[in-house]
Amino acid sequence: MLLQFLINGLIIGSIYSLVSLGFALVYNTTKIFHIAYAVLYMFSPYMLMSFYKELGWPLLLSFIIAVLITTLLSFLVDRVVYRPLSDKSNNIVLVSSLGVMIVLINLIAMFYGNETKVIKSGISQTLEIGHIIITYSQLTQFIVSLVICIIFLLVLKFTRFGIETRALRDDPELCMIFGRNIHKTRSLLFILSGAFVAIGSNLVALDVGMDPYVGMPMFLNAMVALIIGGVGRFEAPILGGFIIGILQALTVWLFSSRWEDAIVFLLLIVFLLVRPQGIMGEKGRQV
Amino acid sequence: MNYVFHLIVMLAIYFILVSSTNLLVGMTNLLSMGQAAFYGISAYLSVLALNVLHLPLIVSLVFVMFLTGVFSLFVSLPARGLKGDYFILATLGFQLIVYTVLYNWVPVTRGPYGIPGIQSPKFLGLVEISGLFPYVVFSLMLGFITWFCINRLIKSPFGRNLKGIRDNELSLKSLGRNTDRIKIEVFFISSLFIALAGFLYATYISYIDPTSFNLDESIFILTALMIGGTGGIKGSVYGALFVILLPELLRFVGLPDSIAANLRQIIYGLAIIILMRFFPKGLAGEQELK
Repeated sequence: MLLQFLINGLIIGSIYSLVSLGFALVYNTTKIFHIAYAVLYMFSPYMLMSFYKELGWPLLLSFIIAVLITTLLSFLVDRVVYRPLSDKSNNIVLVSSLGVMIVLINLIAMFYGNETKVIKSGISQTLEIGHIIITYSQLTQFIVSLVICIIFLLVLKFTRFGIETRALRDDPELCMIFGRNIHKTRSLLFILSGAFVAIGSNLVALDVGMDPYVGMPMFLNAMVALIIGGVGRFEAPILGGFIIGILQALTVWLFSSRWEDAIVFLLLIVFLLVRPQGIMGEKGRQV
Repeated sequence: MNYVFHLIVMLAIYFILVSSTNLLVGMTNLLSMGQAAFYGISAYLSVLALNVLHLPLIVSLVFVMFLTGVFSLFVSLPARGLKGDYFILATLGFQLIVYTVLYNWVPVTRGPYGIPGIQSPKFLGLVEISGLFPYVVFSLMLGFITWFCINRLIKSPFGRNLKGIRDNELSLKSLGRNTDRIKIEVFFISSLFIALAGFLYATYISYIDPTSFNLDESIFILTALMIGGTGGIKGSVYGALFVILLPELLRFVGLPDSIAANLRQIIYGLAIIILMRFFPKGLAGEQELK
């Protein structure tokens, strides 16, 4: 029984890792508290549903189109809302991001309604290994998330884009002095982050459905995963995501699923007090 | 006329919420996303004071205010040293934990069923405050007390300390001020006033459930403050006026109910995006957010 919970924890943890990595792309490099990311998570499955269910397009094509549209939205949020505010304080950017979130959530609620929607109905097939039961959609979630995370880490390590991303994280000003076009890198990062979140949320929505308010809990888990992993490192959110997934599974096993969110935040507060730089972070001097 | 009375009570409640949030966000630059948690805690404490302990009005007000203040220590003590986004996350975490507890601790809070039939308080044990008109008087009284106190506070030496933390915490420290202590104090004071709003809300509506005190409510309060503008007390008045009166104006336009609620939110959202971009001081703020 415990093993089953642990495996469920790993699977949901892989989704947290992917979503958290997408957030880390933006947060590590631009330091924007990108709350609108929560809406991107909610937005993509609705696009998937429109194309797949209402227009009757094939699933894979609808999936790709939904990801592309979310990517475009992510790019636009940066271009239209964040970039003009680059000389303002971080809190002003945060408040604008809140505004974007409010607008988009309500637009979706207006057009699609507040209730929970399912994309694919029916019981999905399962894989049984001994006493452990895994559905095929869970398996897809796990494999896709893990593969994307690993590919990204390799890209980060070995390509020119990866080097520019890390340079942007370390010192944007110096990047500009060396004549790099940081706006281009930044736009690319927003695009990638939109793609990651869209893939993650589409996979989850195909499994369990969605409503206009699914974004915030996922965003908070992703944010906590980033913090406990360690801000500034791109491997860290992946580790943090798995930790949170397993912790939540254990909470469900020991108490009940009602305390999932509270336990995550308890963990966050413990980390903020004891080790604010996270597991993999290095202790920096605070000014 | 009843309609106008109702609006006045709601305005007073939101003015109190927004101006006490201004103490944290606008004066001290502590962007708290957990204001609705204190609002909720004080509303549930009001039930404890009135329905369970049967305290008289003044005593229960003091009881609720003091205990809500004590709860603020749960945030301010751990979060006092945190900077920027970490502070925001800590308050966000507090908000979610409080909401989860209110929602799931069914034996005590009745969870999602909410608590109906909250008794109206008795003034000096004689005059029962119930019905609309007494509430208008009562809420205006509390509103003015809040206005007076916070206005004095902003202009006092303590208020200058707060502005010092906002503008340059390091310099204030170098002048020998204990900034951690000041932050804890301002959190305490802010939640004292929020407790007034929670008490008013609980006794006026006479029914509370956890969904009135979730993260969306915190964001809503923050939105109102940003629209009005931070720093002075005038911004809080304008913010509360805007968020309470705009839905009523939209009502007269004659939109169907199903769209109206979402449309209202969309207008709030657009308003803060545009304000932050072009007028970061808000409608009547003294200082743009740092």
